[in-house]
Amino acid sequence: MTCSINQQIIKEKIVEICSEFKNDPDDLIAILHKAQGHFGFLPSEVQQAVAEQLRIPVSKVFGVVTFYSYFTMEPKGKYPISICMGTACYVKGAEKVLGDFETKLKIKNGQTTPDGKFSLNTLRCIGACGLAPVVMIGEKVYGGVKPEDAGKIISEYKD
Amino acid sequence: MKAQQLKIALRNCGVIDPENIQDYIAREGYLALGKCLAGGSREAVVETVKKSGLRGRGGGGFSTGMKWEFAAKPQSDRKFVVCNADEGDPGAFMDRAVLEGDPHSVLEAMAICGYAIGAEDGYIYIRAEYPLAIKRLKTAIAQAEEAGLLGSNIMNTGFNFKIYLKYGAGAFVCGEETALIKSMEGHRGEPVSKPPFPATKGYRGKPTNVNNVETFANVAAIINKGADWFASIGTEKSKGTKVFALAGKVKNVGLVEVPMGTTLRELIYDIGGGILDDKEFQAVQTGGPSGGCLTVKHLDTPIDYESLVASGSMMGSGGMIVMDEDDCMVAVAQFYLEFTVEESCGKCVPCREGNKALYNILHKITHGSGTMADIDRLKELSVVIKSTSLCGLGQTSPNPVLSTINNFYDDYVQHVVDKKCRAKRCRALLEYLVIEENCIGCGACKRACPADAILGEPKKKHFIDQEKCIKCGACYQKCKFNAIAID
Amino acid sequence: MEKVTNVEQLKALQSALSKEAEQAASKKVIIRIAMATCSIASGAKPVLDFFTEEMPRQPLEFIIKSTGCTGLCHSEPTVEVTLPGKAPVMFGKVDVKKANEIVNDYIKGGKQIEGILEVSRS
Repeated sequence: MTCSINQQIIKEKIVEICSEFKNDPDDLIAILHKAQGHFGFLPSEVQQAVAEQLRIPVSKVFGVVTFYSYFTMEPKGKYPISICMGTACYVKGAEKVLGDFETKLKIKNGQTTPDGKFSLNTLRCIGACGLAPVVMIGEKVYGGVKPEDAGKIISEYKD
Repeated sequence: MKAQQLKIALRNCGVIDPENIQDYIAREGYLALGKCLAGGSREAVVETVKKSGLRGRGGGGFSTGMKWEFAAKPQSDRKFVVCNADEGDPGAFMDRAVLEGDPHSVLEAMAICGYAIGAEDGYIYIRAEYPLAIKRLKTAIAQAEEAGLLGSNIMNTGFNFKIYLKYGAGAFVCGEETALIKSMEGHRGEPVSKPPFPATKGYRGKPTNVNNVETFANVAAIINKGADWFASIGTEKSKGTKVFALAGKVKNVGLVEVPMGTTLRELIYDIGGGILDDKEFQAVQTGGPSGGCLTVKHLDTPIDYESLVASGSMMGSGGMIVMDEDDCMVAVAQFYLEFTVEESCGKCVPCREGNKALYNILHKITHGSGTMADIDRLKELSVVIKSTSLCGLGQTSPNPVLSTINNFYDDYVQHVVDKKCRAKRCRALLEYLVIEENCIGCGACKRACPADAILGEPKKKHFIDQEKCIKCGACYQKCKFNAIAID
Repeated sequence: MEKVTNVEQLKALQSALSKEAEQAASKKVIIRIAMATCSIASGAKPVLDFFTEEMPRQPLEFIIKSTGCTGLCHSEPTVEVTLPGKAPVMFGKVDVKKANEIVNDYIKGGKQIEGILEVSRS
């Protein structure tokens, strides 16, 4: 029952987003950006709704979602943690920083904690190489992170 | 005398308020566009850019003026100007700095390009990961339209030019212009073979000119000060300046702009201030995943397109990562290949399968099971991938492997034959040992060891069972008596 | 801003604006605070807020500009201060405490203080 309500909500939102772009398949990527911004991730129901609205095969939508690293089909944690793995961060020890976050959160890169609070992933260079190694939590950027800082940073996010 | 910076593309960065168009106008902003619209014929604009010697700053180094000329030629009802702001090179942030610090210089140049090739629509393809740059671009576009410097009938000259934003979604291959155009059209960003070039058949099948952010940032200055002025800076074949994102193990990490022909040594030591913690310089990586690692013997190489290619790297978009004695060059090659494997679009076999194979061999070597034959295989495979891949990504992806084999052959041999990593970065090749004379038998290491690999009675010398050791380094971190050595 | 309707008008506007900037530089303190992504990540926002709150309390004419990247990532947040008729001076790793020192000792007191970076603006 709840499922069908959700689908109705998804459908309405997607209709709204697509019409902003005049249902133009050229703007598929922009539409997916908006949809992910709203739902947090792009589950198959959302992809289905986008495909129907733009009158393109759902395989095409799926192909685009899986091609670009920015799009995700898995829900992220309340506080998404991204470890920068750009070259500057790499040579300054980003691997060890990632390892420490994995140990502290007891999850692997790409996973979300069971309580849905934190998710952990790596990204390719946010262009703040002067601060390497860099960790982003949500929109906040932490620079010059040392491996032993993970616990301290995580503890800033209590609720 | 110490080498100096010379700012052309970054002329306004850090000086003006990027969200205030009047600041930009005060520093000759939009005068170049005015000059073109009021006096110069379309051909004259193309000619000026051609004569200046400006070459693509995104990596390719193709003549910008010639590119404009190709896009100007075909007759078409619509044409497009595209600015490539999909800065995907790890370790590079030149474009972000220009867009955040001086967005109008890019908008003005796009309009000039539109006038020169006969286009009325411009698109900026920008990474979604750059929210601040996007915000400032939007503000700048709105201000320029309000001031009548973009939009319809600009300054009553009858010229129309509008600029729109398109967002990337994280795909390195979209830096390749045909892939970028595919992505703009809402598809997977897979490159297509050229010809036809975008200049004849690009976005929506129409003639399209694609230039990188830094390339555009030079244009207004060239129009204002003249082609001869620009051509007087730099070397014979590489004119003007280049912006570099200097990062890694260098004291002054930052964004620098130097005349072409400046040497790597001047850049790293005079401007970069030398190596962090006064360690030994080992290598400098230019050109990102498509470039190579250069070594001490290349320090006096002048920075220009041809010299960098001749020494086994390339200009690339401007990432410059300095590495010291603690970096393992084999692991660095593996790092770049891991990137390529993840970012290969998968369309052509050499890139999709070949790079994966390269990565697997490198992984074998850094984990202690490589052979001398593997090193030869790396070389052989690299040559095949370079010569048979469809686009620039695959054609350059083996460069980090080839350049490290050429310049750091001994390191490869050490990994393969001695099973050792000089820089102590390859964990699998490390050996943790107890220094007996320092060990007091406190047992801290034994308690810290997650693999129960440390044996010994309390208050007696401990030792590490190498069979069980997982090389995590926990004992090394815990020991307060310097009794654990890494070999 | 008013619409520019011809190229001559743009030229006139440009020379008026640049003259205005020159005049301002001869009598006002100009403070430039870098507000690029990396500056903000290293704490430029509170510094900018400090100057915008503190400067109006001073008996001085001033202009505060938030700019883009100065290229000095190693020393962010950076603040450039130009005293009337003087050459610009760049301060690195500025926090609110340092900003306070800049206002009181350098701008008001005319003293040389620590934290000046060696940079030349071409």
